[in-house]
Amino acid sequence: MECYSEQILSIFVDGEAAVEEAQGLRDHLAMCRRCRQLLDALRAENRALSESLQELPEEAASPAGSSREPWSLGWGDVAVVAGVLALGSIVVPWIDELSIPEALQWLNPFSVSGRTNLLFNLSYYFAHGGTAMLSDYAAFVGKILLLLLFVGSALLLGRRRRLQQPGLRLLIVLLALSLPGFALERRHSEFVTVAANETVDDTLLAAGDIVRVEGVVNGDLLAFGGTVEVRGTVKGDLVSFAKRTVVSGTVEGNIFNFSNSLDLDGQLGHSLYGLLQSLRVNDRGRVGNGIVVAAGDVSLEGEVNRSVTIYAGNADVSGSIGRELTMTGDSLTLTNTARVGGGLSARVRELKKVHIADGATITGARDIQVRVRQSHFARPKFYFFQAVWLAAAMLVGWLGLVLFPGLFQGSTQAVGSSWRSLGLGFAVLAGVPVAMVVTAITLVGLPVSLMLLAMYLVAIYLAKLWVGAFLGQMLLKPTGATKSDWLLGLLVGLLILTIIGFIPYLGGLVRFGVVCLGLGAFAWQLYRVSRPAIATQGLLP
Amino acid sequence: MDAEKNNVKGSQPGEGKAPQMEGPDLESVIERAQGHDAEALGEIYRLYVRRVFGLCRYMLDSRESAEDATSEVFLKLQRSIESYDGSIPFVRWLLRVTGNQCIDALRRRKRGRQVIVEVEEGGAVIEATSPEPSPLSAVLSEEERAQVRDAIARLPENYRVPLVLRYYGELSYDEIGQQLDLQRNYVAALIFRAKQELRRKLGHRSK
Repeated sequence: MECYSEQILSIFVDGEAAVEEAQGLRDHLAMCRRCRQLLDALRAENRALSESLQELPEEAASPAGSSREPWSLGWGDVAVVAGVLALGSIVVPWIDELSIPEALQWLNPFSVSGRTNLLFNLSYYFAHGGTAMLSDYAAFVGKILLLLLFVGSALLLGRRRRLQQPGLRLLIVLLALSLPGFALERRHSEFVTVAANETVDDTLLAAGDIVRVEGVVNGDLLAFGGTVEVRGTVKGDLVSFAKRTVVSGTVEGNIFNFSNSLDLDGQLGHSLYGLLQSLRVNDRGRVGNGIVVAAGDVSLEGEVNRSVTIYAGNADVSGSIGRELTMTGDSLTLTNTARVGGGLSARVRELKKVHIADGATITGARDIQVRVRQSHFARPKFYFFQAVWLAAAMLVGWLGLVLFPGLFQGSTQAVGSSWRSLGLGFAVLAGVPVAMVVTAITLVGLPVSLMLLAMYLVAIYLAKLWVGAFLGQMLLKPTGATKSDWLLGLLVGLLILTIIGFIPYLGGLVRFGVVCLGLGAFAWQLYRVSRPAIATQGLLP
Repeated sequence: MDAEKNNVKGSQPGEGKAPQMEGPDLESVIERAQGHDAEALGEIYRLYVRRVFGLCRYMLDSRESAEDATSEVFLKLQRSIESYDGSIPFVRWLLRVTGNQCIDALRRRKRGRQVIVEVEEGGAVIEATSPEPSPLSAVLSEEERAQVRDAIARLPENYRVPLVLRYYGELSYDEIGQQLDLQRNYVAALIFRAKQELRRKLGHRSK
């Protein structure tokens, strides 16, 4: 007698064979050992299937799990947070102790000035708009993120299963990010003044129409206002967001300036970084280190001990510069009294816009070039950095997927609702900076604002990853939503986005769209993460 | 048999800390829920949300849509539970409703096209008997179970959906056929093919 097919046996095992067929089969089984064996194997297979299916795919935790106790921290989680904090408090002073070259100081994400520098650099890069700078910036954010993810993943490695709530992990990352608390004194009125006989021991955050310091601020001065005047002494850094900033006293640290105009009449201990319309260093002005500034007009009449780097429309130099002068912009004038201790390098559009008076002293070499738009595609270095960038992005993507699987895959998915994401993303992109400034001035203060900034930058960086992953998945149409599919999709998507990004004009538009889409998807996903309780609420009115 | 099935489900690890509930208790909860008792509905949610979510998670390809479908099922339950007549175990009925919800979701995504389009030609054709022992037949370790789950998640939709409905939702071929608008023997063929594909995937892995 002929044996039954495996399919029929399989149907029989499922209890779905027709009555008469089942009878025939039973009769056959009684005689046929081979079919009996196959039947047993099929039964075992069914058992194995049901057994395996009793749990969910790895990354999927139950929504009930998160809705039942949305934010209740287990002791273990508290321990992890404490661990991160402890590690942070060990690492932070250590990092602060390290002597980081002045020029790289802004890279130190753990010092307060490091973070204000970060803020400065963001505006600086955006103002300059160069796509190369943007990708540099993205790479920088990527590095910070990588560092955080490494620390985080090391800590969480053994505990991945228990820390289910992505929100909690996000909190931990953010806590780690906002670690060094600092003393801060706040003053907020129309007219904020530190009188001549007054000394402020902490960092002073001042907001007002006029902020005037005639006395001494021992910490940093963070000033927001119409006019900010320093007539006395600021021993730390001066960070100023003002229409007009005048320093006729002394700032012993650095100046970070986002003003319409800055006049430096007094002493500056370290360096000046600025993004402004006009910068004037008067003949009484002294800069201890260097100047890095992007401005419409720059006039240097005073003395700068080290090098000066200017991106400007017009730059007039009649004072003295200790080392190199580097200038990129429209026109450059060096008068008879100008003195440059190092070389002069200028990148201008037309040679005739560079005027160097005969009396001007330039110790080093003169390197004046007319800027021709050189295609970076011709440079091998460009491809190397693109590859590095791509690898970093893939690594960040992978780590993100391991640490926040729900968030990453969900955000990728959410990109699909393109109009919602685009609109939401644009709102977030435009709204967060406003919220940041408002928070910094009025609410809980600067730390929250800086945290928000960090998150914002990270999200801008990640936006590309999510959109890339989504694009890749759309093109590859993988059969399931596994990690490797996601990563492969990410690689393909990022490659495509990178290539499109280099198309003139359209590329910029696409990049902008990508950031909006990704941010929107992220915001939506964050909203969703906080949402699963809805199902219960609906049932229990 | 049915009652037994019910209890088996109640004690699955997937149910987490939810207390087990047996026949009479469950009946009274369902009755109260049918009378729009919010507390009873909440109890049902607590008891079955994992199970419902699990089916959604296996049928739909993202956690997000699975969560949406789960919420949908329980939101609609307020009305739909009135139609439950006790002729089949509640959990089976609930999973049937869940299956429908997921298939609706899949359909919506495909703009109304039939979910399972690729029907095997000769679905009922007799296959050659394979004497090889199945890679699934052994008792599975935790790791192997995870591999099986992963492989299931990676199955193409038209294999995954019937397979999951059968072995997670424990629906019959007929019920699956109704939900998918397919004939019974096509359902049988799809499930069989799904298992073969699964074996192939797992076999590859172990090599």
